[in-house]
Amino acid sequence: MGGGIAGLSSALELSKTGYIDVEILEKSGFLGGHAIQFACKATDRCVSCGACMVEEKLKQAVENPNIHIYSRSRIQKITKSEKFSIDIIIKPEYIDSKMCTGCGVCLDTCPFEGSVIRGFSKNNMPLHTICEDSCLYFKDKSCAKCQELCPEGAINLDSLESCHTSEVDAIIAATGFQPYNPVSKPYGYGLFDNVITNLELERTLRKNSTAARPSDGKAPKNIAFIQCVGSRDVGLNHLWCSKVCCASALRMANLIKMRQPDTKITFFYIDVQTFGKNFQAFYDEIQKNIRQIRAIPGDIYPTKDDRLQLTYFDGAKSQSVDETFDLVVLSIGLIPGQDNPDLAGLFNLEILETGFLAPVENGTSGICDGIFTAGTVQGPMSIPETIANATDVSWKTIKYLSEKDIQETQPDAQI
Amino acid sequence: MTSPDSINLEHLNHDRFKSWSFSQNICTTCGICSSSCPVSGVEGFDPRKLVRMVRLGFQEQLVETRWPWICTMCGKCAYVCPMKIDIANIVRGIRSLRDRDQVPGILHKGIDAALKTGNNLALPKEDYLFILEDVAEEIAAEPGFEGFKAPVDKEGANILTTIHNKLVNTHTEDLKHWWKIFHVAKEDWTLVSENWEGTNWGYFTGDDTAMKTFIGRIVEHMEQLNISSLMCPE
Repeated sequence: MGGGIAGLSSALELSKTGYIDVEILEKSGFLGGHAIQFACKATDRCVSCGACMVEEKLKQAVENPNIHIYSRSRIQKITKSEKFSIDIIIKPEYIDSKMCTGCGVCLDTCPFEGSVIRGFSKNNMPLHTICEDSCLYFKDKSCAKCQELCPEGAINLDSLESCHTSEVDAIIAATGFQPYNPVSKPYGYGLFDNVITNLELERTLRKNSTAARPSDGKAPKNIAFIQCVGSRDVGLNHLWCSKVCCASALRMANLIKMRQPDTKITFFYIDVQTFGKNFQAFYDEIQKNIRQIRAIPGDIYPTKDDRLQLTYFDGAKSQSVDETFDLVVLSIGLIPGQDNPDLAGLFNLEILETGFLAPVENGTSGICDGIFTAGTVQGPMSIPETIANATDVSWKTIKYLSEKDIQETQPDAQI
Repeated sequence: MTSPDSINLEHLNHDRFKSWSFSQNICTTCGICSSSCPVSGVEGFDPRKLVRMVRLGFQEQLVETRWPWICTMCGKCAYVCPMKIDIANIVRGIRSLRDRDQVPGILHKGIDAALKTGNNLALPKEDYLFILEDVAEEIAAEPGFEGFKAPVDKEGANILTTIHNKLVNTHTEDLKHWWKIFHVAKEDWTLVSENWEGTNWGYFTGDDTAMKTFIGRIVEHMEQLNISSLMCPE
């Protein structure tokens, strides 16, 4: 369950056995989860961000004949006897993945923003998906421009939903995290165009290679990163460090500094969480180019010239300082997925105090044997950590399956 | 406040503040309190540092420094604090540790005056009533407010209002706004002739005994006059 980096990694690992068939159930139209939206942050050398591994895993999973992918699917019913029987409903793609070339004519001709959504990887076709909630065709059939103008004739807006029943021996819940929505924090997110999240900056850098202000598309001259927004927060009941944001923000800052060298970057932080063996050396290096201020800013105000004034306490000077920035990037926390309580209830999984799901050691921990958890459904993890975790879970799944002495050749495991 | 060159660790009192109900032990020193504070930087005031001093048990320095008295206890820091540390209440706790004669002059004198006379200014009753009447007469002279009077000690009124001492001293004009609103809204309200002070410097200086005395007086008024709602303009 879940076609993010944990689901893709587990699927690939299981399929390597040669005798396990895998089905990936993905809720959205795109594989790769959050991580496929991330930009490669290499400058003159690789900084080990892991973004390329997602693309690679995605490509391998899509091309693997033993992995069957059901995007845009939702679970209708799960029953357990010998095997799990999972009824799913699959929303139509509308765009034929074999015919689509990813040219984007559908997106360009659509008169209604948000009705055609572009994916993140050309390895995951169709590249675009049609959103029934806002598309005029599904409202009153008043527009079918994309279907009429698609040069490949790949679009059929009258495609119907389909059903599928999976019969599987084991399930890996790899439904991931959700990003914290920072609207309630005092930084005007949602009010001011040029206050964005680190995930939004990741997408911008992936798409355009450089940073730009949403309000006017111009290159920002002065960027502020604010760390720990929604992490380490007892008021929100988020007591954990989200682990990935320090490295992600600093790598993005470093990349921007390389591509847009005139940009001034300030990093407002509490303490830098240097996970990963290479990070200390990287951190020592980037401190030369990126100003570090050990305080989280308080107020934000828009200025008359469409910039943002932040107030922060300068400990060295013992005084409050007002400073103006062109772009403010909030490093938002990784928080438990919305479906975690339902998953825990359905499969008798242990839900932690944090709201994340506990790891499952041998698959026989509860009334539902054969259920495992993998990746950020368990808590914040980086891309490499998620891959390692998912691989470990795959081996535990293989062990569980072999102990059950299952030797059928039908689909055996589901992710 | 200047930082000492060295700290005698034996003087630190870690246990002193442990019983306080706010969990300053989970402060991550993020600094959003200091960044948000409207008076941070005044004499170097740094709420983040203050919370750390409390955590570390710098009792002597905390009692001596003027920082807790620079703070206005507005509570913005606590509102934005991700760890929900009640910094304003910490400040009040520190203020409570000063000997009362070390409490900044005007506050100390005001509390003494209020305990003795019922208001922070030691304003005599006849002067106070004269000011109320005078303001009421000025309102009555305005069109639409003919016959306006400020009710005093009215039994069974709907709302009892206290007075901030500056409103019968330098800011009498400010009384008019809400009195006029009461009049237009046909509100049944009253003032009191004695113990009318609404500004509780016992609360602000961390003097619980005085605070309770002042609140007790208001409760007494409400019971005697049989009034259930209070408006306490500060």
